[in-house]
Amino acid sequence: MKIVTAGTGMAAAEFVEQLRLGGFDGEIVMVGDEDYPPYSPCVIPFYLAGEPLDTVFWKGKDFYEKYRVTARLGEPVVQVDPDRHMIRTADGKTEDYDRLFFATGSNSWYPRPEWLGTEGVFGFKTLSDMVAIDRYIKEEQATAAVVFGGGFIGVDAALSLQARGLRVSLVHRNTRLLSQMTDEDGGQFATSRLAKKTGMDIRLRTKVEEIIQADGRLSAVRLTDGQEIATPLLILAVGVTPNSAPLRGDDKGICSNEQMLADPCIYTAGDVAITRHAVDGAPSVYANYPNAMRQARVAARHLLHGDGSYSGSINTTVLRKHIDFPVISAGSFNGEPVTWQQGDVWRRVYLVDGMINGYITIGDTRLSGYLYQHYVDRTRVDGTIRKIISSPRHDGQYREMLGFAAA
Amino acid sequence: MKRIFVDYKKCLACKACETACAVRHHPSGTLIGALGDRKTEIDVRVLSIEHESFPLACRHCDPADCLSACPSGALGRDAETGAVLIDPTRCKACAMCAMVCTFDAISFKATHRSPFGREVAHKCDLCLLRTKDGGIPACVEACHSGALVYAEYDATRSKRATKSLRTYLLGEEGVPPLVELYRELRRKEFARRRGSEE
Repeated sequence: MKIVTAGTGMAAAEFVEQLRLGGFDGEIVMVGDEDYPPYSPCVIPFYLAGEPLDTVFWKGKDFYEKYRVTARLGEPVVQVDPDRHMIRTADGKTEDYDRLFFATGSNSWYPRPEWLGTEGVFGFKTLSDMVAIDRYIKEEQATAAVVFGGGFIGVDAALSLQARGLRVSLVHRNTRLLSQMTDEDGGQFATSRLAKKTGMDIRLRTKVEEIIQADGRLSAVRLTDGQEIATPLLILAVGVTPNSAPLRGDDKGICSNEQMLADPCIYTAGDVAITRHAVDGAPSVYANYPNAMRQARVAARHLLHGDGSYSGSINTTVLRKHIDFPVISAGSFNGEPVTWQQGDVWRRVYLVDGMINGYITIGDTRLSGYLYQHYVDRTRVDGTIRKIISSPRHDGQYREMLGFAAA
Repeated sequence: MKRIFVDYKKCLACKACETACAVRHHPSGTLIGALGDRKTEIDVRVLSIEHESFPLACRHCDPADCLSACPSGALGRDAETGAVLIDPTRCKACAMCAMVCTFDAISFKATHRSPFGREVAHKCDLCLLRTKDGGIPACVEACHSGALVYAEYDATRSKRATKSLRTYLLGEEGVPPLVELYRELRRKEFARRRGSEE
């Protein structure tokens, strides 16, 4: 049997590793547009911040040799023909398969794609982006940057560039940073603390409207509120879309069943896959690393043994990069809120039917594992949760376990 | 496979385990070196809640949520001992592991093992360098009251299960008389402090 993966990302690498560890001896071909061994997108901003490139290859730089993979790199998969069991790359090459693992991930979404034609304007998604930004900063000796987009990737970009020593302006259209992973109050809290701790120039409720060039290079950006910021470097981190077009013709993501099958011979996983949420059952793309790993393992197990099923995705997120100020959240932010704050630490749990429906914890990682486990396990916590999160020494769970009321 | 077990009723909150852990993980290997060094790594902490106290550290769970959450390849399991280990050269301190750890056993700090001068995640490594040579973890060796025990996992688990049933049925605590006396004094002291606050 011949296995082909469309994509060389984390899901595809995990899938291939599981197949080989599980004794699969057949031919494996991995096809991807970037000329690198599988790397960790979570880690690549650290390369930009000045750490060695080798640390991004999280399963080893010798991945393809180690797992006896034929790597066809440099061209993206642009078309899948499920009837003829064949994929086609951008330069017209084809590859046939017995089973396809479709894990092409997501692409940056650009408000004005033509901006990328100007030197100094970059996306912030792939290792190729990081390498290009790194080279540009070195060549131009850039000391300032504007990041457009204050979601997870935008804040990640801003913090990495600041860690490298650049002055960073962060432009975000919403009322607060990290607007998808926080509610209004939590987002405001996180934004104000991040602004104070980093000293970053944060512009809210505005967008980059126009870029200003000089000699074909970026020299400034103009915002919708009329202000201009002089900068040689603009990072666009406004959003991402699933790269599902090669298989279904649009960017709405790939639906799959509990075995991660999108078609009898096509598995899917990772940031392109639509799965059910483990708690509320809502189908969507739940793009995070633990989900991608579990999906890839389900697919590999099904291929090897014909059994196993996916138990659903969890939308947990944590942002803690270059700064000791974690922002953690999961679930959905509706229900009865229970909130606690002390200094730089803020926690909120949303309760529905006495169970955790969502939570946000900012400024400290402690208690987040407790909330996570009880959220996933669907335990009733309404009798205790207020005391547990109202915990000045962050030991509420142990206090409760020993039968003490919170001090 | 051996693990560290905690008998929290025997813990006297002396923090000898914390000190031993700090010394063991310090490059100098001495107390003088570890003291006052901001990079000193301590992978066990004694939690004191009212009159109760107990040492808290990584349980080396199996399966371990932290291990499946790490996106940088820094967390792995030692094949021989089953210990969950952090490779500080790969760790980016992104907190994906800490986010799912029920025991809050993972902390962040720029330690002597941080290769890039920034924070990394650190936690108990089961003192593998000692235990692989037949030794016992530094914290267990330092514990004078018997609150920390290094023992075979499966056997100890079943022994403890029957022991707690006996405790439940017969009220036997199995705590040495001197420790029981100390606990009684601590309870009274904390009750007295609460009383004077009111």
